[in-house]
Amino acid sequence: MTEVATAPAVPVAGRAHASLARLVRAELRWIFRRPRTLVVLGLLAVIPVIVGIALTLVDSPGPPGGGDGGGESLLATAGGNALVLPIGTLAMALGLLLPLSAAMAGADALAGESAHGTLRGWLLGPVSRGRLLLVKSIGVAVFTVTATVVMALTGVLTGLVINGTGSLFTLSGTTLSFPAALLKVAIAAGWVALQLWAVGAVALAISAWTEHPMVVLASVLGGVIVFSVLGLLDALDWLHPFLLNHSWTDLGDVLRDPMPGGALAEGALRAGCYIAIALSLAYARLSTKDG
Amino acid sequence: MSTSTQVTGVDVAEAASTPPVPLAARTRGLRKLYGRTVAVDHVDLDVPEGAVLGMLGPNGSGKTTTIRMLLGLVRPTAGQVSLLGHPVPEQAGHALPDVGALVEGPGFHPFLSGRENLLRMAAAEPRLATSDIAGAVADALERVGLADAANRRYRGYSLGMKQRLGLAGALLVPRRMVVLDEPTNGLDPAGTREVRAIIAELHAAGVTVLVSSHLLAEVEATCTHVAVLQAGSVVAQGELAELLESGSPALLVSTPDGTAAMEALRSKRIPSRLTPGGVRVDLTATTPPEVVAALVHAGVDVHEARRDRTGLEDLFARLTQEPQGEVRS
Amino acid sequence: MNPKKRAVTVAVAGTAIGAAGLAVMAMPAGAEEAPELPPVSAQELVSSVLRADIPALAGNVRIENDLGLPSMPGLPVLDVESARVYHDGDEGSRIALEQGSSELTVVQNGGTVWSYDSAENSATKLTVPAETREHRAHAQEGFSDPTSAAGQLLDYVRQSSTVSVDGTASVADRPAYELVLTPKPSERTLLREVRIAVDSETRVPLRMSVLTNGTTEPALEIGFTDIDFGQQPANLFQFTPPQGATVTEERPRAHDERMPAGAIGEFSGEGWDTVYTGTVPADLTAAQDTEGRDVQSLLDRLGKRVSGDFGSGYAIETKVGTAIVTDDGRFAVGAVPQQVLTDALAQR
Repeated sequence: MTEVATAPAVPVAGRAHASLARLVRAELRWIFRRPRTLVVLGLLAVIPVIVGIALTLVDSPGPPGGGDGGGESLLATAGGNALVLPIGTLAMALGLLLPLSAAMAGADALAGESAHGTLRGWLLGPVSRGRLLLVKSIGVAVFTVTATVVMALTGVLTGLVINGTGSLFTLSGTTLSFPAALLKVAIAAGWVALQLWAVGAVALAISAWTEHPMVVLASVLGGVIVFSVLGLLDALDWLHPFLLNHSWTDLGDVLRDPMPGGALAEGALRAGCYIAIALSLAYARLSTKDG
Repeated sequence: MSTSTQVTGVDVAEAASTPPVPLAARTRGLRKLYGRTVAVDHVDLDVPEGAVLGMLGPNGSGKTTTIRMLLGLVRPTAGQVSLLGHPVPEQAGHALPDVGALVEGPGFHPFLSGRENLLRMAAAEPRLATSDIAGAVADALERVGLADAANRRYRGYSLGMKQRLGLAGALLVPRRMVVLDEPTNGLDPAGTREVRAIIAELHAAGVTVLVSSHLLAEVEATCTHVAVLQAGSVVAQGELAELLESGSPALLVSTPDGTAAMEALRSKRIPSRLTPGGVRVDLTATTPPEVVAALVHAGVDVHEARRDRTGLEDLFARLTQEPQGEVRS
Repeated sequence: MNPKKRAVTVAVAGTAIGAAGLAVMAMPAGAEEAPELPPVSAQELVSSVLRADIPALAGNVRIENDLGLPSMPGLPVLDVESARVYHDGDEGSRIALEQGSSELTVVQNGGTVWSYDSAENSATKLTVPAETREHRAHAQEGFSDPTSAAGQLLDYVRQSSTVSVDGTASVADRPAYELVLTPKPSERTLLREVRIAVDSETRVPLRMSVLTNGTTEPALEIGFTDIDFGQQPANLFQFTPPQGATVTEERPRAHDERMPAGAIGEFSGEGWDTVYTGTVPADLTAAQDTEGRDVQSLLDRLGKRVSGDFGSGYAIETKVGTAIVTDDGRFAVGAVPQQVLTDALAQR
């Protein structure tokens, strides 16, 4: 680096990259300073409260659920159950709201920044395209984890306030201790977050291709709807294992005791496959894209 | 010195391939296609170290595309770019820490304050230690006159303030080279003067500056070198002073007796015409000393003799309006 | 490497890995090769099954039916696709039936049987009196000599069936013998054969498949998809109703109470073409299901009109069996073609 040696007044000599930690900190500060982020997190936090109150007012388990719905029929049992409420609302929100939030984060991360012309600022830093994608992925991941944790926490609190600590029991009728119940909620939230990472990764990939954040949101929304419809068509059951949301209804398995892990593990693996595909495509696009 | 003058279509250009001054940036055969549209073609640009090079051209002449390729933001379809000695975009990462840039207008987040926007930008600067970021941001804000508005949201900034914030972003770290794409866009005359002052400061500190503009006056006021782009190609480049003289060479002679002067010159077969207060002598076939000698010899009073600077405006107008083949030096 | 090439490489590699992972999940579990096991006779196999105590285990049972039944919404029993089964090797067992997002759990520990329905948050406690259990235990003592018991059982079964050990199979990753019961040619039945896969080591039946004439896929299959033998946590076999649950206590009804009056039918025929005939209880005919449809309209949808010497009524046909309900309230059911049922009805 003789070039650097001859440059006048170089505070940090020899570094070609700003440290990853510093970039991630800057990215997170940006994400959590954005009003939109805070509004979405606030909304997600309120949902379990609303659901909890609504269930108390209705005060009767709905008609025994048909076999299809994930969150909806889980919620039928959430009425007097502080454990089912957070996981049931997570399952319900996983249907549309949480994927949309993840898509929003992915859309803002690349397309939104391109639209503002701010992506250029970092590329000229310079931040290499690979590191940029890494930082953006971490940002989306942290946001989705925050979203799920916020929802799970308000869900647990709402459930406890309404039903008391004795109401932490599984679908199998086993009453759990508070730490054991928290562990279950944590597993559910972690699994949901993993699914959302997959959605976020797909959103990032689309985001790398466009300068319009709305295109990303619309694509993810359309994708979720199309996947849901395809999932309902029995004639396409060979296709179902390829659909990301195929295992989303299995979240209820966390509430069973003992917990059957097969479907959840498969769902996690499926999410991992989506992440691998989406991030590699996002990298391919971002690294060759004109800045 | 004249060897660095290069105007397309003239053989003198070949002499420019071995400039005596080291180059901060250099492109060869640069070409960029967007689909089937040629944005930039055959751009051989030389930015001498320490120079303030004004990139002049009408809108759509390829200035911004050239700058984006120079900074590694855009991959050229063909040709080479070298920035501070590093091939770009392959090793842009080695050069960019020493380059400050304001490209395509300022890009900032509307919901963050000016300071927060700069802090975010500064996080990506390898040359800044984490502990120095806050200070560097404050200095840069001070330098562009935004210290008072630093904590206001970017959304509420005027066009001029936005432009200044962009400038501050380019000046976060002491640079070896600063690239400014239309830096005075949206600035009021006072703001424009400030930008000129900043460019002059950078120049004085030995920083290479590349400024693009479609305003001739601005380039004329701030630059040591000029490159003129038209329809994606460099049609002229070189030192400002030489390009200014590279129109039709002429000598303006102030004399109380213009008619006598014309007659004296006609006898020497030197074409000239009468102007208010003197004569204008065509230097195509002669030199200023010969002209002065002829006049003095004929007993004509010569009060003043100076080169006729046609002005960059004239040059610019001719270069960008005439077909390339007719451009003369 | 130039960035374009690297981008393509990364894209192709990442997509390939991801797609391969998805494809692996989408692939149906391939038929595993039949394991090599020492040969065993049908009698030995049956007696070893009778002799074996069910060890402590945990497993998943999958129920797949392709009965060819017209779709019947609101028949909850058919909704069950899988169940998790636990056994402590002694008197404790636990079955969890998954029904969509709710669960029906049955926990048995000695004489106490709890069942819990998560959709209703209701629990039922059934206490089996000690004398009933002793009675059962006594009945089991009849099998005290499994070898002779197996002999008797096989003798009985062989009157109508061919019993053989037909190779081996791998069920839930465990090597198993396939015990096959095939009806004798004289039997008038819809069924082709019944296969029971028996674990080669523990001699626990792992899978039962019912195959019908003219199909290769089982019409009904119940089997473990995975199974682990080994000690299970004791708390699995305890049950305490959770907060807010509706708890009902039941005692088993006396034997004669079990069948509602008037529905008692009788078996006719022997072996595979056994037919159960009787009279539909009057209160059931009048009953309506939860969605307000009465039995009549249900029959209209499921069955087709038949008439003959026996009178007239509806016939409901599935791959494994047939049922006829006559207009005057008689019924006949069996794993037989319709003709056998009409004959049986005509004789009544």
